[in-house]
Amino acid sequence: MRIISRKTLIMFFLPCAIFMGIFLVYPILKMISDSLYTFDITGIKSFVGFDNYIKAFTTTSFLLPLKNTAKYMVIAVTTELFFGLIMALLFEHQFKGNKIIRSFILIPLMIAPLVAGLIWKLMLSSQFGIVNQILQNLHIIKDTNSILWLADEKWALLACTFADIWLTTPFMMLMILAGLQGVDTSIIEAAKIDGANKLQQIFSIKIPNIKPVLLTALSIRIIDAARTFDIIWVMTQGGPNSSSEVISVVIYRTLTRYNKAGYASAMAVIFIIILVIFTLVFMKSLWKPKSE
Amino acid sequence: MGNIRNKMGTFIVVILSLAFMLFWLFPYLYLISSAFKPGSEVISIPAKFFPTHLSVENFSDLFDRIQVFKYMGNSFITAVLSTIIAVILGSLASYAISRSGAKLSVLLVVLVLCLKMIPTSSIAVPIYEIITNMGLYDTRIALIVVYAAINIPFVMWIMISFYKGIPISLDEAACVDGASNFYTFRKIILPICLPGIATSAIFTLLLSWNDFLISLLLTSINAKTFTVGLSEFLSAYSMDLGPMCAGAFIFSFPVIILSIVAQKYIIRGMTAGSIKG
Repeated sequence: MRIISRKTLIMFFLPCAIFMGIFLVYPILKMISDSLYTFDITGIKSFVGFDNYIKAFTTTSFLLPLKNTAKYMVIAVTTELFFGLIMALLFEHQFKGNKIIRSFILIPLMIAPLVAGLIWKLMLSSQFGIVNQILQNLHIIKDTNSILWLADEKWALLACTFADIWLTTPFMMLMILAGLQGVDTSIIEAAKIDGANKLQQIFSIKIPNIKPVLLTALSIRIIDAARTFDIIWVMTQGGPNSSSEVISVVIYRTLTRYNKAGYASAMAVIFIIILVIFTLVFMKSLWKPKSE
Repeated sequence: MGNIRNKMGTFIVVILSLAFMLFWLFPYLYLISSAFKPGSEVISIPAKFFPTHLSVENFSDLFDRIQVFKYMGNSFITAVLSTIIAVILGSLASYAISRSGAKLSVLLVVLVLCLKMIPTSSIAVPIYEIITNMGLYDTRIALIVVYAAINIPFVMWIMISFYKGIPISLDEAACVDGASNFYTFRKIILPICLPGIATSAIFTLLLSWNDFLISLLLTSINAKTFTVGLSEFLSAYSMDLGPMCAGAFIFSFPVIILSIVAQKYIIRGMTAGSIKG
């Protein structure tokens, strides 16, 4: 039986479609077409074909941020996965205060990335930052100027990942915990009877069983980490010397400071294509367990 | 023996959990304590965790420097109105899709995922152009419509998973009884899906409230939101970390209260689509 007539379908869907069409789909199409043009100062555009793309692939102003984005993504996401998994395994145990502790850890969950960036910028500042002070008190570094987290090319990108890790590990933990709670307890009981120790239970039963959840969480985080803008903008603005510049920042700068809409669009298109391919590979293995 | 080992195990688990909790709370507690330090102490050398005495100097500085109420008001109004639009349009559309056959909904899921992947900074140019052409630059309306459009895919994503859980026979029964589609949706489906509505509303609200990039791009004076106002403490004078902390605290505190009160919905929103798919 057909519940929704074609007319109702259109009536329900049209307002939403118009809205998304104007403010989401059209901008995307416009971006793709813009990428084939250059714009001069007066705003007159001229067709250049794939020149913008060729330019992107041959200059370090695009390739370096691409590398930085990949680095940022890998460092942030693997660390988040690691801590998220440990925390989820901890909170899987029922103990007094479990829920309260968990609630506290979830506090960063909804904080604005901008605020997270501000907090970490404050904490990581070289002279009056508390992180270096603590490291000095623990005699890990000699004095508070030993590591210039945000001003040293070696550290800037890594320092930005700290804010990201702090902000989103709780998300990872939540996802993995939800997955763990869905694992059939009888499988684990059976494994216990067969003499599997804790580690074996975790690696041979729990993790394989929550693979779909892990993959979803990972792909969500990969996409979000790759798109990071706020944190980096606040903490380093891409500096020093472009060492923490990621794609979003470059695109924004190319657009607003240098007014090169065509080139910025081409970079965005390349980036989205890379991201889509990357995620599709992930999604493919993600959908597999469901197609059975 | 086994009992003792179990107790030891629990003990270790509790200690580790507490350690993680302290670690994760520390940055935020540091923000709070910095906000209540006297202005000069925020950047004192060596850095101290606790203020020597509590002070609201940073807060009064903040209110002197930026128009806190105006920016907060802008953030609040744009977040609330865009949430209302996104939730209404998104839930209606996804209901129609979920009840109209599988092909379309698969396509939609793919579309939603694709839209989620687009870096906001990349569609910023065309959005900027559209908004300027419409004469909406630096208005709240611009922010409201753009936030709504960006969040609609997410609302649909959440709502579809909720509609899936409702047997179609329910709709059919209503249909047989002569109820119109809209009546069925409003009186039967929507009440069941209230948790879904709450989840998507909270998320849309917080994502809009927390937005920085779009507001940075589309506003200058009148519609500027609090995040942009806050970021201005950074670029020009690095010595203004005190009022900045106060601002960051004022801005994020309501969010934290909301996320503790509504934790159930937030957890549901985060894990939506991953557990049942």
